[in-house]
Amino acid sequence: MQARVILSISIVGLGLIIAAVPQNTTHPYKLTVSQLLEEAKGRQQFFSPDELADKLINKDPSVQLIDVRDQDDFEKFSLPGAINIPLTDLLNDKWKDILDQDVKMNIFYSNGSIEANEAWMITRQLGYNNLFVLEGGLNYWVETIMNPQKPASTAPNEELARYDFRQAAGSALGGGGAIQLAAPADQGRGAKPALIKKPGKKKASGGC
Amino acid sequence: MEKELKDRSRRYLNPYLGGVLLGLVLIAANYIAGRGLGASGAVKSVVVAANKVIAPAHLEKNAFYAESIKQHPNPLKNWLVFEMTGVLVGGFLSGSLWGRLKLKVEHSPKITSRKRLIMAGTGGVLFGFGSQLGRGCTSGSALSGMAVLSLGGFITMAAIFGTAFALAYFFRKNWI
Amino acid sequence: MGPLVVNGIISENTNLLLAFIIGIGFGFVLESSGFSSSRKLAGVFYGYDMVVLKVFFTAAITAMLGMLFLSLFGWLDLDLVYVNPTYLSSAIIGGVVMGAGFIIGGFCPGTSFAGASIGKIDAMVFIGGLFIGVIIFSEGYPLWDNLYMAAFKGSPKLSESLGLSDGLAALGIILAAIGMFYVAEWAEKKFPREEY
Repeated sequence: MQARVILSISIVGLGLIIAAVPQNTTHPYKLTVSQLLEEAKGRQQFFSPDELADKLINKDPSVQLIDVRDQDDFEKFSLPGAINIPLTDLLNDKWKDILDQDVKMNIFYSNGSIEANEAWMITRQLGYNNLFVLEGGLNYWVETIMNPQKPASTAPNEELARYDFRQAAGSALGGGGAIQLAAPADQGRGAKPALIKKPGKKKASGGC
Repeated sequence: MEKELKDRSRRYLNPYLGGVLLGLVLIAANYIAGRGLGASGAVKSVVVAANKVIAPAHLEKNAFYAESIKQHPNPLKNWLVFEMTGVLVGGFLSGSLWGRLKLKVEHSPKITSRKRLIMAGTGGVLFGFGSQLGRGCTSGSALSGMAVLSLGGFITMAAIFGTAFALAYFFRKNWI
Repeated sequence: MGPLVVNGIISENTNLLLAFIIGIGFGFVLESSGFSSSRKLAGVFYGYDMVVLKVFFTAAITAMLGMLFLSLFGWLDLDLVYVNPTYLSSAIIGGVVMGAGFIIGGFCPGTSFAGASIGKIDAMVFIGGLFIGVIIFSEGYPLWDNLYMAAFKGSPKLSESLGLSDGLAALGIILAAIGMFYVAEWAEKKFPREEY
């Protein structure tokens, strides 16, 4: 009988301790600093406006745009289909399913590319995959896609083709009618980003 | 001698100690594999595996099998199948340690062996069916679920024990 | 940092070997606690032997506390541990069917394997029944796939649905379990049986 009382008290004591301490909600970093530096140096996270415009016009379902500016800016102007996750709210649990997945390519954007890049670094360090940054941000987007500069008529063909593409993309995304597009011109980087499936996170299934 | 042997075979671990040990096994499973214990999932894997050999075409037509085979292309190379094989070995070790290895039908003196076996088979069918519907049995859903504070685990646990208590009166002759 | 497999610390094949070893532990504890005897198991429903309740709840609170402490020390990432999804209708109806199977058959799947391993023929018949039950469910799946998928609630934790922290929910469960242990001790004295 005595033993039973002692056991009861000690297990309640452990319960009290666990109830009293704050829950451990720290998310461990999955990437080492040097791994992250390596990725950042390679600038592989950047998505050029031309690539993005191409994907948006083709309504590529694998693209998920994430606007990391605050809500006011988001309501004034945003890219089609973007969702608003302000940088300050990035670690909120409710965004976790959007950020940590292996179905879509998440493309962060902000006015420039600094805030978007910060979001990229943080989420990347948490081990999330398929994250990208819109190169140059909205400023560069407006400059290149919305108001492209007509190159001089002596410019190489390549550049003229790129201008045609941008102009067409700009009017398509700006709400203009359907425009048949030629294949997008030079895409900057050769390798297209591909979806990375999560490696270890296979949830056990079937219950019992 | 006879008496002593019988006594030894009736000696069991203190239930609270047994519970703590079982809890440690469950922690180990979660720490290593990120999942709890289970039993009925192994039965399902064997059924799927048998189907794959006997009637592969049938397997693809059935949505339940198809889903299962998609998740585990090789149904026998499954965590639960290995775990349940271990259970057979572990049970045998403990049984031999305490001298409980004996082929017999255990039943209340009020019923015959035959009746006990019919009841056991019926109970097995119900449990097999229920475990698939409820996505896990007492170990997989109720015990492992409770350990990770899963709401579903508590609901399944309450439904299992609640029903069994409610029906206990009608089946008392089988046990007492 | 656990879970070892999910974090890629040990390989899939090592995992299967460890599953076998964990299974040995599981089977050993079940058998030595007396879970290989259907009459001992059924005792919980008549009050003469509460071993099921005691072992079951002690194991649940031990594991729960253990994992919360491991998480507290940063040794186990609870976000990566599998939490059973909750499908309300199928959990309740499946539970009711299993409860009926428990009182009629006297085993649950895990314990029937423990019983079969020491030669209990009723446990072997029960396992045969399990196979038939699983086959009936799978073959008739179109008949109950609506029920199977109905009322999906995600994978909520009890603590989340009550709006408590994990620790507070755990404390509540511990208190409830200790209450049940005292009731169990009382019941065993009230409904004693010498031989069964």
